[in-house]
Formats: sequence, structure tokens, C-alpha cells
Amino acid sequence: MAIIERPVSLEVQPLIVVAPATPSSAMGAVKRPVVTKGWRQWVFTVDHKKIGIMYMVTAMFFFLVGGLEAVAIRLQLALPNGKILNADLYNQMFTMHATTMVFLFVMPMAAGFANYFIPLQIGARDVAFPRINAFGFWALLFGGLFINLSWFLGGAADGGWFMYAPNSGPIFSPSHGVDFWALGLQITGIASLTGAINLIVTILNMRAPGMKLMRMPIFTWMILVVQFLLAFAVPVITVALFLLSFQRNFGATFFDVAAGADPLLWQHLFWIFGHPEVYILILPSFGIISEVLPVFSRKPLFGYPFVVFSGAAIGFVGWGVWAHHMFATGLGPISVAVFSISTMAIAVPTGVKIVNWTLTLWGGKLWFTTAMKFSIGLIVLFTIGGLSGVTHSVAPSDTQQTDTYYVVAHFHYVLFGGAVLGLFSGFYYWWPKMFGKMLNEKLGSWNFWLMIIGMNLTFGPMHILGLQGQPRRMYQWTENRAGEGLFNFGFWNLVSSIGSLVLTVGVLVFLINVFITARNGKVAPLDPWGARSLEWMTSNPPKEHNFDSIPTVKHLDEFFHRKYAEDTSGQMQQVATAEEVLKQLEDNADAHIHMPSPSYWPIIIAFGLPVTAIGVIYSVPVAIFGGIIILMSAFAWALEPSTAPDTDFDPPTSSDTSKDVVHVG
Amino acid sequence: MFTPGSKYLIAITGLSAVSFALYMLLVHPSALGAVALIGLVAATSLITGVALFTRDGHTPDGQTSAATVDTPTPSMWPLVGAAGFALLLVGTITTPIVFIFGIVAIFAALVEWTVQAWSEGASGDNAYNASIRQRILNPIEYPILAAVGIAVIIFSFSRVMLATNKDAGAIIFIVVAAVVSVVGMLISLRPSLKKGIIGTIAVVAAVGLVGAGIASMGVGMREDLVVAAEEDHYAHQECGEEKSEHFDKGVSETISATSGVDATIELIDGKLTAQVQGIEGLQDSITVRRSNPSNIIFRNKDAGEFRLKANLGKKQIADGVMEEVVTCTQLISEGAEQWLTLTINKPSVSGEPYTLSIPGLKGQSIVVVVP
Amino acid sequence: MTLVNRLGGVICRLKSLILGTAGTVFLASCGRNAPQDTFQPKGPNAQKIDTLQKPVFAVAGIIGVIVAVAVVYSMVKFRDRGQPIPKQSHGNPALEITLTIIPALILAVVGVFTFRTVFDLNKTSDTQMIINVTGQQWWWEYDYPANNEYGITQPIITSGQLVIPVGTKVMLRETSRDVIHSYWIPALNGKRDAVPGRITTNRIEADEPGIYAGQCTEFCGLSHANMRMEAVALSKEDFAKWVANQLKPYAAPAESTLAKEGETVFLNQCTRCHQVNGLTRADGTPVIAAPDENVWSGAAPNLSHLMSRNTFAGAMFNLVTPECRTDVWKSESVTFGAKYLAGVDEPCLNQTDLRGWLRNAPAMKPMYANPALLAATGGKYRGMPNLGLSESDIEKLVAYLLTLK
Repeated sequence: MAIIERPVSLEVQPLIVVAPATPSSAMGAVKRPVVTKGWRQWVFTVDHKKIGIMYMVTAMFFFLVGGLEAVAIRLQLALPNGKILNADLYNQMFTMHATTMVFLFVMPMAAGFANYFIPLQIGARDVAFPRINAFGFWALLFGGLFINLSWFLGGAADGGWFMYAPNSGPIFSPSHGVDFWALGLQITGIASLTGAINLIVTILNMRAPGMKLMRMPIFTWMILVVQFLLAFAVPVITVALFLLSFQRNFGATFFDVAAGADPLLWQHLFWIFGHPEVYILILPSFGIISEVLPVFSRKPLFGYPFVVFSGAAIGFVGWGVWAHHMFATGLGPISVAVFSISTMAIAVPTGVKIVNWTLTLWGGKLWFTTAMKFSIGLIVLFTIGGLSGVTHSVAPSDTQQTDTYYVVAHFHYVLFGGAVLGLFSGFYYWWPKMFGKMLNEKLGSWNFWLMIIGMNLTFGPMHILGLQGQPRRMYQWTENRAGEGLFNFGFWNLVSSIGSLVLTVGVLVFLINVFITARNGKVAPLDPWGARSLEWMTSNPPKEHNFDSIPTVKHLDEFFHRKYAEDTSGQMQQVATAEEVLKQLEDNADAHIHMPSPSYWPIIIAFGLPVTAIGVIYSVPVAIFGGIIILMSAFAWALEPSTAPDTDFDPPTSSDTSKDVVHVG
Repeated sequence: MFTPGSKYLIAITGLSAVSFALYMLLVHPSALGAVALIGLVAATSLITGVALFTRDGHTPDGQTSAATVDTPTPSMWPLVGAAGFALLLVGTITTPIVFIFGIVAIFAALVEWTVQAWSEGASGDNAYNASIRQRILNPIEYPILAAVGIAVIIFSFSRVMLATNKDAGAIIFIVVAAVVSVVGMLISLRPSLKKGIIGTIAVVAAVGLVGAGIASMGVGMREDLVVAAEEDHYAHQECGEEKSEHFDKGVSETISATSGVDATIELIDGKLTAQVQGIEGLQDSITVRRSNPSNIIFRNKDAGEFRLKANLGKKQIADGVMEEVVTCTQLISEGAEQWLTLTINKPSVSGEPYTLSIPGLKGQSIVVVVP
Repeated sequence: MTLVNRLGGVICRLKSLILGTAGTVFLASCGRNAPQDTFQPKGPNAQKIDTLQKPVFAVAGIIGVIVAVAVVYSMVKFRDRGQPIPKQSHGNPALEITLTIIPALILAVVGVFTFRTVFDLNKTSDTQMIINVTGQQWWWEYDYPANNEYGITQPIITSGQLVIPVGTKVMLRETSRDVIHSYWIPALNGKRDAVPGRITTNRIEADEPGIYAGQCTEFCGLSHANMRMEAVALSKEDFAKWVANQLKPYAAPAESTLAKEGETVFLNQCTRCHQVNGLTRADGTPVIAAPDENVWSGAAPNLSHLMSRNTFAGAMFNLVTPECRTDVWKSESVTFGAKYLAGVDEPCLNQTDLRGWLRNAPAMKPMYANPALLAATGGKYRGMPNLGLSESDIEKLVAYLLTLK
């Protein structure tokens, strides 16, 4: 736990920072890691900002993997009777595309943003449990690599990301792909769960003085809701995955119909997790654009409490709609009608958000930076996805459209037009904060327009395809059923495939932008956007300990109110620059700041997880070996004090404060 | 007074003497065993004498550096090791489990003793030496002791649950859980509570649990579990005359059976009727798909105990020898229901239809058509 | 209801006006000649859905346009022209609540109609005919229980095409022998999953004679894309003829014809899995196929009266040539029945695909026929294996299959 001492005296003293200085001797099995340079500063770090960046890099890597899978799918479907992939490979592709994008891109990317910015936004110096935080990241990385390992060991999972029983059983999916999938998701689930607990505790306990819940930045709020969703949803999928693993690896019969099982059990478990999961994916982006829109509109978020409560409402009602994924399974009219109505009900708080964003723009002073463009893009495109979602809530209509491309269009508008655009908005908005350099706005504009055009070309035609009756998950489509005229499958499938290439170029432009910025990007001013929240009251990038002194919060949008005040006529006038605000914090620096020390154990425990999982699939002794790694390092971790006592630290040197600042972007 | 080495040797001598005595008194003595044990007593006595005389080879004077200061600390490992050897010996002549415990004790003593001795050579400061020992051994000790502790708790508690009947078991479970959480809450509310008190509570609880576990083991499993294990009722498929009283009635009332079953067969007023999913009204025949597990519910609404029997044609078991293929539900009393999964691989031929009937009830049957 | 219908029609005509957000959605609904269009109901059940969904799509489209216009308007109107920093207002609760209640009310109205339609579609009491539908990898089996009203004295078992009488409320009792499948004829009703171990029900009814296309819509493994179905609606008289044909006893091919030799090949090779009702061995004993011993799902299509169907291999291939298919598929509803009941004769037979199928089935449709992959199933196939038939055997078999009228 981060031990953060409050100032003990009012005298102004030279700032002494004693972290991550090395304990000269520490309890525990081995000495704590000592190096604060090179790769080891990343591998053994417990710093929330470094972990956040590692989350984002990992997520971006998997985004590219998942994107390539998507392009392969689209190329296969561009023409009738596609021959690029065979049926087996195609099934693996779409399974892994969804799995990768959901579990290994959007979730970790949101986790990366949350890790980096939650402590900054609430005025804390780290998260509540820094080593658990590091463990969460490594578990995610190893879990993600583990799932993808199956590509090289006889084929990836081929049952779809929903992995419906009994098609996921050992008879119908004889390769080890589903085993890797189930156990890999189990590992990333552990990561999500630990992350959720950590962030909940951080947000509830470590806010700066004066930051009441209703003064929290909206991004922090949305992340809080998401963590609660995770904390309750992940255990459900854990149970389901255990049932699946036992069925496949140890001969259990949970989904074996001949033994009296009911395959719908899996669907209920999966969707009780799976629907809240949708909100887990989208709410962080809602949070991001709720930060971005006010900044670039130069006015506060319209109806902050409504946005907060609608987010919380989505979090609650999101638990009561799972069976709308099962309208066609024959649940009976009562269940169908009830879930139909509850699904309509959840559209209301979602609509509230859209209204509030639009009204935030209204009457503002809009500055169309790339971040702003992505946010506005989200409002429009997410609305389309939301409205097609409403058409799904009409259960009889859904029995026509479910499992067709209309659904594919719907959730890509929600998840690409919603979640992904929000994340890109976040990249452009927070890049200066994270790396001290500005992403190129001109390339940013190209990036935005190529992605928007590409995304609409790719997913827009899928509405048509779906309504024309093209089912999902088909490795080929045939001209026999393609229809004629303007609305035949052929034309729109081709458009969609071309769109996917445009989209790919758009994403490439982003990578080029990152590369160029890293090489010779413009150094960011302290407050490039005229921002409003606490994370901008730090240097660019923030110091190891974030804040020299913890600010006392008096307003929602505290930073803005330190810079601006109303004059006598009611006009907002600047009263201080960002530099002055920061200077004020630095002048009152805390005398003694303890930061948590790095540790070996998070990564070692996390490594034990895939070892155990490999053992479960191939050989039980290996699993036992992995279990021993986990058990032993868990105890070693427990015996290691989170922060070594004062006497254990080497004497501080004056250069400690600045030497670890890393310029990445 | 006694050096660690001689302590260990005295203990092993004593225990080998005791085991010799026990062997002679309790076990049917054999010449070989007696000679081996008396030889052991003699050998250990000799070595103990040497160790005592030489004080383990230590000389009390002439130490100069801190590292050579002999700062022995109290140690239980000689005793454990000795006990291990004794168990080993007793185990060889009695049961293997004792032997295994002996091996474990010896191994533990070996590791612990070695590390302790090594750490004591580190400096003249006992506290520092202890910290070195802990750094090496705690990460091993804690997990193993925790695992052993959990295993003992689970084993003892599960014995109790197997011995008591179902209702009492539920009550015990609730009471124990409540007590544990209440005590835990009280302790956490009073952090100033003396360690001794907490320790006493823990010891009493542990002794109570292990004691209850041992007592339950003596009592054995409850009657119906014993009978069920003998009957192997989970494999209970045939339609014999037997009337098992011991099947778990909860199992047969499958919760998912309320929707999606192929047909519900009811016995009312001596009449057998079928309700088929998706078809209005009562039927006297049902159509079952070939080679497909089809779920049927049998509901007894008559007084008396009945079972539903499915007559699934004949099968050739040897040349010219045919055997009837049948499957049954359990006998169930009025108001109960049973779940039967039929898989019929061959189509029905007119003239010899598959049927569902109630043994002992003439003239009532449901025809099963398999197209 | 007619008002709503007319509204749907108006929307189609006004499609060029409704651009933007959901415009494409409406355009799609006016597509022509799309066999699986979800907006072209051909029976009362699908019509109920259509009546419900068209206004919903319209309202959704209008709301989408309103949001887009509001956003674009703000972008133009409020862009930074050097105006002073706006007042830091935190919102307007009255406006907020109004804008919450309006969508809630719209949804409440939609909800009421949805509720009604859900229960309407699940009505079963007036069912006139029952057909059991069984899915397995990767084809559908249809069995018609005996039903004197329609002249079905013996259960009929068929596959590939579901034949129903027009204007009849048909109840499909669905289940599956292996994984979950989903039965969907968009023109007749929404989809309903066939779940192993469960019986699900779905009612369909066709207004006009014709062929209605559909496709399995629950992902069911390797050849999910190739698991298709066709529902054939016949007038009541034609349906009676179809039933009579299906109940017609087996007619063995004449001695010393190619077809008779084909029957021998069939007996040796095909009857391990495929049943032909009435087929007997040389000694006169009836042949009962044993798919349960060779195929994991335990079933293979019953080939009695194969040539009365237009498709084979899970409706993946047409049994008729494209020309003959167009002739039947596109014919007027008056002449349709007669053309369909004529069945498949030699000139119309799709020799290419049928021979290819007999030569090496797994090469034409991805299936689990590779022995290395069959360990989990104890050697049972999932799908039809390559039988290694010689060309002359194929020749004979085709001749024989042509006799299965």
C-alpha cells in the first residue's frame, strides 16, 4: 500500500522523495528489485503510470492482432464462395477476433487509461494495492499470449466468443483451442477481478481532501461503475469457464444432454456475464468523452449528476437484460416479454447520456481538435448503434434479425463507433500528459476521417446485409441466396470489405502518428487543451509521485476553477495560468513521500498461471508445478512488506527527483 | 547442558528402547525383528555415549570472532527427527501410514535443522540469525503448514458431515459458519484482545474439530450413504423387482424439467396419459426421434408406488436368443415425479411397437412411435 | 393494423426522403428478390412481426436523424469564433427530465405492442398440423406424425425441403441431435433454436404456394454456412398429392437395368446410414439402416422418394439444374404445385454436384470425415465420409437414385 505521509510541518523544506529507492535489506525471500533503469524498471515496477502504459501497449498490440483477423474475415467474405480461409480457419478467426477485441483490446485499454488517470484524477499518488496492480497487468498479458498460443498448437478456439455448449465440448471441438480459450480467459478474468477490487478501493478511499463523490471527474465515476460491474460479472464467467474446462479436461457432463444436462445453462451463465460486459466495454469511453467534450466546449458537462446517475443506472439495469441474447432459444413468452421490456428500459439512461453530450456542445465555444472530433464521432455513431439496439429489444423483430449481419452492424456501431472512438479520443487528449509530446493534429485529422469513413463503409452495409437475411458466422456466402438488384449480398459485402481496408489504413495512420511524434513531436505545453480536472495539475509527464502536495478540492472541475473566476459582470476571466497553479503545489511540497517499492512477485505469480493452465491441458504434473510457483510466490509476496521501513532505504540523493522521468511518446 | 546432537541421540536411544519394548509386548515377536531392534538400541546407546563425552566436538573456550561464537538456540527438531525415526521403525512393522509420517517428520527435521544450523553460523546475533532462517524457510513453511491446516480442517469437517444425517448436517453447517463469522467479527472489533485469548480460542476450536472428526470416523458414514454405495444406485437402470428406499429423491425432481421435455406421462385414476410439448390435449401415443436422447417425465398421481417402464423391443444377444430391451424409472409414491431419458436407435415397426407401461397395471400403455 | 401496414408502405415510398442514420435500413427493407429478406413477410406470423417492426425502425430512424442534426447544428453554430468563454452552467434539470421522459414514453408505447405480439406469436391452441424438425450437423430432418386429416396414415420422414400446405397453421416441434441449431424461414416467421434435450415450438403458415428460403442461424460448427433449408408451400390439393407420393410403397428397379445394379451398390454402401423405406435385401428381409453405429448424431437423411426433393446435402446443393430450378422457383403460384410435384427426372438432374458428392463428399462440404479427428467420437463420422466409389459405381448409383421418385 502506498504510504503517503501528509506534511508534518509547515516549514518549507527541500523536497525529499525516497522512491523507488532500493531497500538495502528487505524481509522476504529475496532482496527487492533494485534497478530503476532499462527493462527492469518496467518488469518489476509497481508504479500505476508505468503499468498503465504497459496495459495500453499490450492492448494496442492485441488490437492489431484482432484487426488483422478482422481483415482476413472481410477478405474471405468479399466475394461469394471465398477461398482465402477454409471453414475451420474461418471459425477460428471470428472466434479469436471477438475474443481478442473484447478481452484483450477494449478491456485492457480501458484498464490502462483507468490505471494511469484514476490516481491522477482523484489526487492520489498511486493505487491502493500497487503490487496487485502489477500482478493484474502481467496476468492479462500472459493470459492473452496464452490464448493466442493455441494458434501454434493445433488451432485456436473455434466455437465463437460466446462458445455455446454443446458445440464447445470435446466431441465437437476436438482441438485444444477451446481449452486454451477457457483457461486463458480464466487468467485474464483474474486480472480483471484484481484490477476491479484495486480501483474500487482506490477511488473510494484515496481521494484528495475535499473531493466528494459528486466532485469526482466523470471518467473516474464511469470507471468506478465499470469496476463494480467487473467485480460481479467476472465471477459468473469464471464459474461457466470452470464448468467448460471440467467438461473438456476431466470428463464432467455439465452440458452433456444424454446425461440429462440442459445446454441453455451455459447461455444463461455466459450472458449474465456477457451483457454487463457490454457496459464494461462502453462505459470507460463514455467517461473519456465526458471529459473531452467539456474541455473543448469550454463549459462544464451538461447535467453532471444525470450523467453520473444514468451511468449507475446502466450498471444496475444491465444485470436484468441478459436473456435478450436468447430471444430465439424458446424461453417462453413470459420471459421474452419481460426481458424485452427491461431492454427497452435500459435505452433510457443511455439516451440521457446522448442528450447531455449534445447539450454540452450547445452554447459552447467548440474547438475541433482530433480528440474532440473522435468524441463527436462517438455521439453520432453510438446513437446509430443504440437505436439499432432498440430495434433488437422488440423481441419478435429480434427473432428475425438476431444472428444476422444486422446484429454485427449493431454491435460494431456500439463497440467501434462507441468504445473504440472514445479510446482514440482519449489517446489524443491525454497523450501530452502521458508522454509530454503532442500527437500531430494534421495526421490526427487523417486518422479520424479515414477511421470514420472506413468504419461506416465496413459496418454500415452490414445493416443491409442483415436485413436481407445474411446470417453471421458463415465462412462463405452463396450467390443462390444473394438476391438481385441494388440490395444483393455481392455489392454490399464488397463495400464492407473495402471499408475494412480503409479502416486499416486509418489505424496505420495512428501508428505512424505515434512514431513521428516519438521521433520529433512537439513538446507539449503544460496545459495544451485548457483542461479542467486534477490530472492536468501535474507536470508533463507526471512525476513518479504525481503531486508534490496533494491539492484540496473545492469544485467539480477543480483545475478550471483555479485558473478562471467570474468577474463582477459574470464573465469567466483567467486568474491564473496552469504554470502558476502547478507552482503553487510545488511550493507547498510535502516533506516526505513514501512510494511503494518494486517487487518480483507479481510477475512471478502471474507467470505461474499459464504454466498451471498448460499443465491442465497437457499434463497434470506441470499443473502441480505451476501451482507450486503460485503458492510459493504468494507467500513470499505476503511476507514482503509493501514498503520497506525508513531505515531500509539508501540515503536519498538530490538527483532522485528527476532522473527517472521517461519520455516515451 | 546437553548439546543438540546428544539430545537427538538420547531421544533416539530412548525411543528405540520403547519401540523394542512395545514390539516385544504387543506384536508377535519374531527373531529377526527382535534382533534388529535390540541392535538399534545398542548402537544408539554407544553413539549417544560418545556424543555426550565429546560434547559434540565443541570446545567451550578460545572463540575469537563473532561468527564462531556458539549461540545455540532452543530447537525442537532433534525431538521431531527422533520421533520420526521411531515412527519409521514402528511403521515398518505395523501400517504404512505410520511409516509415511515418519519419513515426513525426518525430512522436515532434516531441512529445518540444516537451515537453522547454517543460519546460526551467520553471526553472533541471535535475532539476526533468526531473520536469516525465516527468510529462507518462511516461504516454505507457511504454505505447507497452511495446506496441512486446511486439509485437516476439511478432512475432519467432512467426516462429521458424512456421519450426521442430512438435516442435522445442514444445521451443523449453519451453526459452525455462524460461530466462525461471529467470533471473527468480535475479534476484528476488538483488536486489543490479548493474543493468548485468541490462541486459546483457536486451539479449543481446532481440538474440538479434530476430536469431532475422529469421533465421526469411528461412527462411520450415515446409513443411507452406506446402502447407496452398496447398491451403486447411480447406475440403477434395469427394471428388477428390487425396491430401493435409498435413492436421493431430490435428484429425480430435475429443475430444468419444467420446460422443453418431449412428453409428460401421468398416471391418474389408473389411466396412463401423455402430454406432448407443443400439442394441445392428452395423447395415447408419442413420437420420439430416432437416435436422439428424448426426455420424458413420469408423474404418479395415484395412491401407491409405481414405476414407468419403457419397452424398447428385442435385441439379439446370441444366435436365436432374443432379450427384451427395457428401461425404467424408480418406484415413486403419489405426487412424486421421475425423469427418464430414452434413446431409441431403430425405427419402430408396425406390429411390434415400442411402449411405455406401468408394471402391474394391465391395459394401460402409451405407444412410442419412432419414424 | 392496416393503418400501420399502410404506414410501412408509405415509408417505403418515401425512402428517398429518409436519408442519413437509419435511411439505409429502410432502403434495405425495400429490396427486391432477396430470398431471405426479413421485411418481406409471406405468412401471417412473419406479417405480425413486420407490422410491429416497421414503425419501430421508422421511429428509430427519425430519432437518429434528430440527434445527428442537433450535433451538426451545434458544431456549426457554436464553433470557436473567438467568443468569450461561455457561462459555466451545470445543466437544466427541467429540460433534462423532459428529455428523459419523452424517450421513455415512446418506448412504453413500443413495449405495449411488443408485449401483445410476443404472446400472439406464441399462441398454440389452434394448431392444425404438427411437424417434428430435428437439426443435426449439418442438415435438417422433418418427420410428419400420422395425421388422418391430411391423409398421413404412416409417419413420413424427409429432409432438405419442408413441405407444408398453404393456409395451414403448422407447428414445428424442434430439437437437435448434437449441437444447437436454429430454424429460420424469414418469410414465414422469426427463428427458433433447436436445442438438444429440449423441444422448442415455432408456428409457421404460408399464404401462397412457393419456395421460401432459410438458413441455420445458430453457429453449429464447421459447415454452419452450408446448413440451409427451404420451405415449400403447396396448395391443399397438391399437398395431398405430395403426401400420397411419400406414402407410395417402394418400387424396386426392373431386373438387369443399370438402376438394379445401382440398388446393389446402394445396399452394400449406402444402407449403413441411409434408409430407403421398403428396400429389401436379396433374401427379402427389410433393410434397416444403422446410422447410430456410424454417425455421431445417430442420423442420416432418409432417401425414400429422394427425387421428389429439389435439394440434397443439407440443402447445400440443388438436386436440379439451375434452369429447372429457376423454372420451379420463379413460377406463378398457380402452376408452382404441379411443377414441384413433377419431381426430378434425368434431364433436370444436377449431375455435376450429385456425382461430385458421391465421389468425395467431404471435398464439397467441410465435414469431420478425417479419421484422425474422430478419436473423440470413437470413430463415428460427423457428416458423410468419402466412400471411395468407382466411377462405374457412381454411374449405377445415379441411375438408381433417379428411380427413387
